[in-house]
Amino acid sequence: MLSLDNARRFVGCAMVAAWLAAAGHAHAAADAQAVLAASDEVRNPPKPFSVTVNLLEYRNAKQTDANTLTVYSKTDDKSGQYRTLLRFAAPERDAGKLMLKNGNDLWFYDPASQASIRLSPQQRLLGQASNGDVVTVNLAKDYKAELLAEEDTADGEKQTRRAYKLGLSAVSPDVTYHRVEMWVDAASSRPIKARFYSESGHLLKTAYYRKYQPQLGRERPTEVVIIDGLDPSWVTVLRYSDYAWREVPDAWLQRDYLPRFKPG
Amino acid sequence: MALLTALGWVLPALAVNAAPAEPPDDLDALSLADKAPEAPVEQAARPWRLFVEGAVGRGRLRGSGGDNDFGIYRGSIDFRYDAPIAPQWRVVLSDRLDGVDSDGVPPGDNVNTLREAYVSWSRTEHQIVDLGRVNVRSGAALGFNPTDWFKANALRSIVDPDPAVLRENRQGTVVLQAQQLWSEASLTATVSPKLVRTAEVSTSTFALNAGATNPSNRFLLAGSWKLSDKFTPQLLAFGGNDDPAQWGVNLSGLLGDAVVAFGEFTAGRGQPLLAQALNQPAANENQQRAALGLTYTTGFNLSLTAEADYSSAAPRGDRWQLLPLPVQQQTLATAQALQDLPTRSQWFVYANWKDLFAPRFELSGFLRQDMDSASRTLWLEGRYAWQRAELALQWQQFAGAPGTVYYAVPQQGTVQLILRVYL
Repeated sequence: MLSLDNARRFVGCAMVAAWLAAAGHAHAAADAQAVLAASDEVRNPPKPFSVTVNLLEYRNAKQTDANTLTVYSKTDDKSGQYRTLLRFAAPERDAGKLMLKNGNDLWFYDPASQASIRLSPQQRLLGQASNGDVVTVNLAKDYKAELLAEEDTADGEKQTRRAYKLGLSAVSPDVTYHRVEMWVDAASSRPIKARFYSESGHLLKTAYYRKYQPQLGRERPTEVVIIDGLDPSWVTVLRYSDYAWREVPDAWLQRDYLPRFKPG
Repeated sequence: MALLTALGWVLPALAVNAAPAEPPDDLDALSLADKAPEAPVEQAARPWRLFVEGAVGRGRLRGSGGDNDFGIYRGSIDFRYDAPIAPQWRVVLSDRLDGVDSDGVPPGDNVNTLREAYVSWSRTEHQIVDLGRVNVRSGAALGFNPTDWFKANALRSIVDPDPAVLRENRQGTVVLQAQQLWSEASLTATVSPKLVRTAEVSTSTFALNAGATNPSNRFLLAGSWKLSDKFTPQLLAFGGNDDPAQWGVNLSGLLGDAVVAFGEFTAGRGQPLLAQALNQPAANENQQRAALGLTYTTGFNLSLTAEADYSSAAPRGDRWQLLPLPVQQQTLATAQALQDLPTRSQWFVYANWKDLFAPRFELSGFLRQDMDSASRTLWLEGRYAWQRAELALQWQQFAGAPGTVYYAVPQQGTVQLILRVYL
């Protein structure tokens, strides 16, 4: 029979155990978040910058589309998230078109019709790649990370890497994907690959971060390979080049400046 | 036995150290990316765009008889140049020449549209002045833009009824325009002076057509303020010597991940459409115009827009039905020239489906359903794009019983095949 003292002792032990478990969990959660933030720093330059992105799209191993655009990006002092202006350079029919993204405040501008049109996050301008795939995103600001495992995984160069497998769940409603699994190199904090899931749990796409090169002060991925979750023969290769520190005035990052945007 | 023992040691070690095999699809994709061609060294956007376009088509006029079919043959050259010419200075030139041969109604004609020709000076990133012919366009809606006051008489040649194309292929108005930008707001003041003695629209091929674009002294003030990430309203005021003051507002916002809601409203005094169509003297009355709609985008690249349009200046259905056919046609032509509604209310539904059936194939279409006379026009386009060319098939139909709005259109329908080549 359980005496009062025993019961007190039991409750006390249980509380200590629960506190230790909670503290351990909080420690792991903090570590996971720090791992995610470190991987963000690998992908994202800390100051305003520009980069050229070439997108090559493949279906059944045949190239079906190609786009070139320039990305101008800087962090928002208030949210810590990136504000991005995209300018399309190729193909010819899209040249000069712009997309502005401040969180979910998305605008598309066509210089021919002088029209600035608000877009919903679901509207895609670049085939398989969502707008969120192309612009710079600090995942640690939008997702809560959990350490799922530490394991060996193959990277985009088919090399084995020791990696933290993180489970990311959205804390901001303004995100493209509701849940993400991400593998981050345990030694270098490089993002290796990520799997993006819909709210209903379906795999939407897999992304491999690869071809690391020195860019703007550290090794950064210069290629992302995106594989469609439903149709794996649908592949998009994003290549990043011409990284440069670039002043991005606040005036550029508002809708009414879009007709004026003409970088020198 | 020794071998088995050794394997017994080695295999579990391998199982521990080897990375889990990636799905074969991932490996295939990575191998494909390995073979992808290197990107060109320089692919900066060119300051100019030039394309030629050719179209052949058939149409059918209303009425009985076997000779109602007509042909459409068109060749177009379209040019746009937009580049800095010196520090703080930029020049924009945009022009289109359409040569149309058709025995339909209206018959074909050769029309040059000088859309834009202006210089822009940036005192700073936040203060900009424009001088010249500018396509000054406002409006959050898709099918009908009440706040787009400079759209009146801006169309010289309608070769494509797609609203996006109509916004592009029009002549701008000659203005002096100044814009002040702040980090979350902007204010634009535009003055469009009277440049002709008589406000006549010219139909000659290379006319600059200032009688249509600058018939009187007019002004536009537009200010916007970002209240939140999801809401940036724009307020407008328009007026002039011959134009009573008009007030307008443009609104758009997000409803979830996939829906954009938009609204556009104007109020001010003005003449009824019928008085303008028949050139009859009439007192100005309070008029209101509005467009209110939603755009929903699915996960498979289909965007659907439904928009309700209203103009108090346009006649109601019962009034329209009493008009003789020539007056209906004149009213419809005036509404088309002013880009206004011919009757009190319309539904506009627009669909755009990218990468349907195949990558780079796009299906677009719209329905304008006149709510006052139960008639409609339907337009569909399938367009396939290569890197430097596009091929499109367009079909348009005007349907309605005698006495309705779209029955007043002389054509029953048209079909056209269009090839565009970028140079």
